[in-house]
Amino acid sequence: MNTASIISIKNMTKRFPVGKGEFTALENINLEFGEGEFAGLVGPSGSGKTTLLNIIGSLDSPTEGTATVMGKNIAQLSHKESALLRNLHIGFIFQSYNLLPVYTVFENVEFALLLQNHTASERRKAVMDALEWVGLTDKVKSKPAMLSGGEGQRVAIARAMVKRPKILLADEPSANLDAKNSHQILKTMKQLNKELKTTFIFSTHDEKVMQYLDRTISLADGKVVKDELTVAANAG
Amino acid sequence: MLAFKLAFKNLIGAGLKTWLNVLVLSLSFVIIIFYNSMMDGWDQQAQTDTIAWEIGQGQLWEKDYDPYDPYTLIDAHAPISPEMKSQVESDALVPVLITQASVYPQGRMQNILLKGIPSDQQLLDLPTSALGTDGDETKAIIGKRMAEATKLKEGDKVLLRWRDKNGTFDAREITIANVFDNNVPSIDNGQVWLPLSTLQDMTGMQDEATLLVTGSNYVPVNNENWTFKGHEFLLADLKTIIQSKKGSAAIMYILLLGIALLAIFDTQVFSIFRRQKEIGTYIALGMTRSQVVKLFTIEGGAHSILAAVVGAIYGIPLFIYLKNVGIPIPAASQNAGVPMASEIIPVYGISLILSTILLVVIAATIVSYLPARKIARMNPTEALKGKIQ
Ligand SMILES: Nc1ncnc2c1ncn2[C@@H]1O[C@H](COP(=O)(O)OP(=O)(O)OP(=O)(O)O)[C@@H](O)[C@H]1O
Ligand SMILES: [Mg+2]
Repeated sequence: MNTASIISIKNMTKRFPVGKGEFTALENINLEFGEGEFAGLVGPSGSGKTTLLNIIGSLDSPTEGTATVMGKNIAQLSHKESALLRNLHIGFIFQSYNLLPVYTVFENVEFALLLQNHTASERRKAVMDALEWVGLTDKVKSKPAMLSGGEGQRVAIARAMVKRPKILLADEPSANLDAKNSHQILKTMKQLNKELKTTFIFSTHDEKVMQYLDRTISLADGKVVKDELTVAANAG
Repeated sequence: MLAFKLAFKNLIGAGLKTWLNVLVLSLSFVIIIFYNSMMDGWDQQAQTDTIAWEIGQGQLWEKDYDPYDPYTLIDAHAPISPEMKSQVESDALVPVLITQASVYPQGRMQNILLKGIPSDQQLLDLPTSALGTDGDETKAIIGKRMAEATKLKEGDKVLLRWRDKNGTFDAREITIANVFDNNVPSIDNGQVWLPLSTLQDMTGMQDEATLLVTGSNYVPVNNENWTFKGHEFLLADLKTIIQSKKGSAAIMYILLLGIALLAIFDTQVFSIFRRQKEIGTYIALGMTRSQVVKLFTIEGGAHSILAAVVGAIYGIPLFIYLKNVGIPIPAASQNAGVPMASEIIPVYGISLILSTILLVVIAATIVSYLPARKIARMNPTEALKGKIQ
């Protein structure tokens, strides 16, 4: 990596209290991510992928060691500071999209911008740009319930990307999609990654997703077992 | 501002459940306002009627007079001073002489208060002109409640028995010259009105009275026999009764409001449980927990704003209609001893309406806030999984 490190994880362990004891979900993780990476966490179910993404996204914090994101030590952030970090710099895409059902596509995408200080016309332009990236400008007024799975996930991508975050975290983004939609969405993300220099980190079981990764990090039982640069298919 | 916009969107988006809550809440709005406006209307009508029929601008009481103790009546009379007499001429004072007596409708004795009042007085709404002294019959007027209780009608004759000046019984027949409709039981129940001069003759209390009703042109007199009783004193009982009725009605709408608030509370608890993923998403998108708590609190509290709007939609026409036609009062309640018309014109106080709205908005916001506080303790990763119990 010749680019600046924006995520730095050092000797990080995450344990969850389970009954009277503890369960170690992540153990002694050391990882660095630079600007513009397109990386994936792969591994069997229960290997700790989601847990790691949650910590990078400052939704959770390490039990031991440190996770530094955009220069901020996650464990030391207040609720407010971590909310600000997410709002400004981190986009999330969820397996089940998590669109807000009572809002239109436009409003769902606009949401993140409403929390920042933008004028209505700035917001409008940014939302339309984001919907353009994912090819959904014709669904502006639709409600999430009226969208297909692929469209729903594209709205989720637009919502995560509209604020042009430094980091985009996608937890099994293709799990509910068929092959055709998966490829389309990955192509879109790869393109955004190139254009906006956003660092993408996926978690996935999906072979189709793995094909697109520039870097594949394998987890097993909460440990990094392999971290390799991969030659992505469809790289162009 | 954002929170308000989002809250209303979510609320409207929730559909039927929202509108059910809103409807129940709006009912409590409308009923609180309806009931209080009726009470205020009653209060006003009762005061107006009492002033017009009984107390005028206040009364001068003979110093021994105690309306709650009829035995004081024997001594509670005093001469009308010359100074007062001139005011009687100009109708600024209307003397009333009160004594105990009995009548015998259908041969059954009934104790009554016998009241003498000048037949030419104009100050009170009592139809005293019917007492006109021409002819040798002794004319009397009675109120509708008395007429009903004694089964006496206009034109009926009835035997009257009273004690004269020397304490010996005397009796004569009187003719009911008029039965008057009125809303003031305290000039009606158990009372017979005679011409003042007749009663003075009968009792030998020439030029005497028990009390004098004052008019607006009354000039205060200083006489140790008489004490002035103003509206505040004379209307105090009425106010107490109406206040206590208001109080007991409050239980009804506290109950109704309670049900509405419980429904909102329940909706909030349910919605926070059901919308965990949404809450997690808000946090992932960069809202602080307190912003999410605020959003849900406003969302619940906004029920009350919608309820005010919905309540206004059906309440305002209803209130205007009632203002025009009055609220009919069942005959039974008119005999309850408190002045009450057969129809009450409601009085809508702006402060009543505003304070009701404020009360409901605050209450709805509080019951929405209580469950929403839970969000602040939610773990966002758990919320996103939607697994919190
Ligand atoms: N809050 C928690 N309390 C207790 N254990 C937890 C908690 N969250 C995760 N775990 C455990 O930590 C381990 C890692 O979970 P994680 O969700 O990160 O796995 P994953 O790799 O994302 O799996 P999947 O592919 O099924 O999504 C699992 O064994 C899980 O049961
Ligand atoms: Mg997972």
